[in-house]
Amino acid sequence: MNTSVLTPFLIVSGAGVLALLLGVLPARRAARMLPTATGIVALVAAIIMSRVQWGGPDETALASNYLSDRFTLLLDSILAVIGIAVLLLAWRESSSADKRGEYAGLILLSVAGMMLVAAAGTTIVLFLGIELFSVSLYILCALETWRSRSLEAGLKYLIVGAVGSGILVYGLALLYGATGTTVLSEMQHALIDGDMLRDPLPIAALTMIVVGLGFKASAVPFHMWTPDVYDGAPTPITAFMATGTKVAAFAAFIRLFSDSLLGMFDDWRLPVAILAAVTVIIGNIAALLQPGMKRMLAYSGVAQAGYLLIGIAAGSVAGVEAVLYYLLAYTAMTMAAFAVVVMREREVLDGDQIGALRGIGRSRPMMGVVLTLAMLSLAGFPPLAGFIGKFMLFGAAVDADLTWLAIVGAVGSMISLGYYLKVVAVAWQSGPPVDDTTYRTPRSVTIVAVVSAAAIVLVALFADPLLTLCSDAAQGLIGTINR
Amino acid sequence: MNALAHAAAVTGVPHSSYIGLSVLLFAIGLFGVARRRNPLLLLLSVELLLNAANVALIGFSRYWNNSDGQIFALVVMVVAAAEVVIGLGLVVAVFRQRRALDVDEMTELRG
Repeated sequence: MNTSVLTPFLIVSGAGVLALLLGVLPARRAARMLPTATGIVALVAAIIMSRVQWGGPDETALASNYLSDRFTLLLDSILAVIGIAVLLLAWRESSSADKRGEYAGLILLSVAGMMLVAAAGTTIVLFLGIELFSVSLYILCALETWRSRSLEAGLKYLIVGAVGSGILVYGLALLYGATGTTVLSEMQHALIDGDMLRDPLPIAALTMIVVGLGFKASAVPFHMWTPDVYDGAPTPITAFMATGTKVAAFAAFIRLFSDSLLGMFDDWRLPVAILAAVTVIIGNIAALLQPGMKRMLAYSGVAQAGYLLIGIAAGSVAGVEAVLYYLLAYTAMTMAAFAVVVMREREVLDGDQIGALRGIGRSRPMMGVVLTLAMLSLAGFPPLAGFIGKFMLFGAAVDADLTWLAIVGAVGSMISLGYYLKVVAVAWQSGPPVDDTTYRTPRSVTIVAVVSAAAIVLVALFADPLLTLCSDAAQGLIGTINR
Repeated sequence: MNALAHAAAVTGVPHSSYIGLSVLLFAIGLFGVARRRNPLLLLLSVELLLNAANVALIGFSRYWNNSDGQIFALVVMVVAAAEVVIGLGLVVAVFRQRRALDVDEMTELRG
């Protein structure tokens, strides 16, 4: 056992507690700057540590509760980058001025929880990680206590999230009942060797786990909370939920379905495929009808979860590889879109409406380009990152004899052009921009926007090395079973 | 003698009773989540869901004769406590603001 592999997780969770403490310092200036600074330093350190450990052999720590393989390390880096971006987006958020400690501390604890999900070696740690990031997010959503929409979002998220967790943990309990172990790698053997595959117990467990994780990943029909909560929460937190929660939920999906439960592939393949198809269709159609940017991005996030589920349904190394690559691309493009919304929201009243973006491309070409790149990539225009990711996902589905699912995905992408291109058209429309104030955008938001937009291009440009990285991570996972 | 005592301990409560109770609790919890509109009662129903899982975990732990399930149950208890603390805090905050406790009246955000 080697506890040093825990460092990325320990650094981030430790910094989370430290940031909470620094937030109550009597010196106002220190209390405002230090928590965020601590967070950024810690997250950079976590990225460096996971880079350092990358070459090494796979290790387990804490009695096989914590797995440190390439999958963990890759996701740790993605999650840490998301954390930095969110801290920067919230940097000058007026509403967080007197709650900087809570803001930064809870974001860090949430990132730590997501890292724990990625590294989970037992169902106990998987559940603990999911709860750590969920509970932190419930508070973050409701942090603007004077705004009733924020409170409402927090309470709704808490109740729906808790129901999802309750169903998930019952499924995990039944899985323990079926296999007699909570260790994911042993579960695999119990499910393959035993002739209990046709038993009701594993099937019931499987159903509940899919439902529970469906709530977290906001898959249709468990997505109803998504638009409300995304709309009501502070926008930097919405960006965090859209990216971080998605990454963590799919980390849980991959750890369970593409690894431990692979022996039951024939049982879950069709239900997950149907879930993916319904999510793609409903998410894209609902997104067409949304007037607000945040709600539109919420439904677009639902649809994107559907594309990612296609990769899970493929149940192959190629599928997991595609999911990991698409998560990279998805993070970059969603973060870019939300950075523009954050900026616009502070400048004008009702800044989260699509109409508020009118003429932004002409008055501020840089922001216009960022928004255009994000939207085109989300829609899957070649040669951007979103296109390559979708191509890989659909390709994995075709290889796994799920051609119909790939077709559904392609149809969904076509529907999505309707709302993504509308935003692009509005942004480059001529005419006076909506009351352009003299408010200066904080540099941190501009940095996030530009870096995310650059990442959309770079993820596509360096697709080859990145895909090697992703397939390294995927291979370590599924290496134990020869399919 | 020792063996007899052991046998009595093992046959104490039949395994099926654990599962039966846990399924019942889970069903009541789900019903409550679907029917109740008061956030406090919703939180209570969620607690039932989590405790149903706990009963199942303890029962399975006895069936398989290992401690994994008991450790899991302890973790679930801590998580349930944390969730309720935050839930009650939010309910109090909402109540202070609008003096009404009915999720159907929370319509500023429409799904």
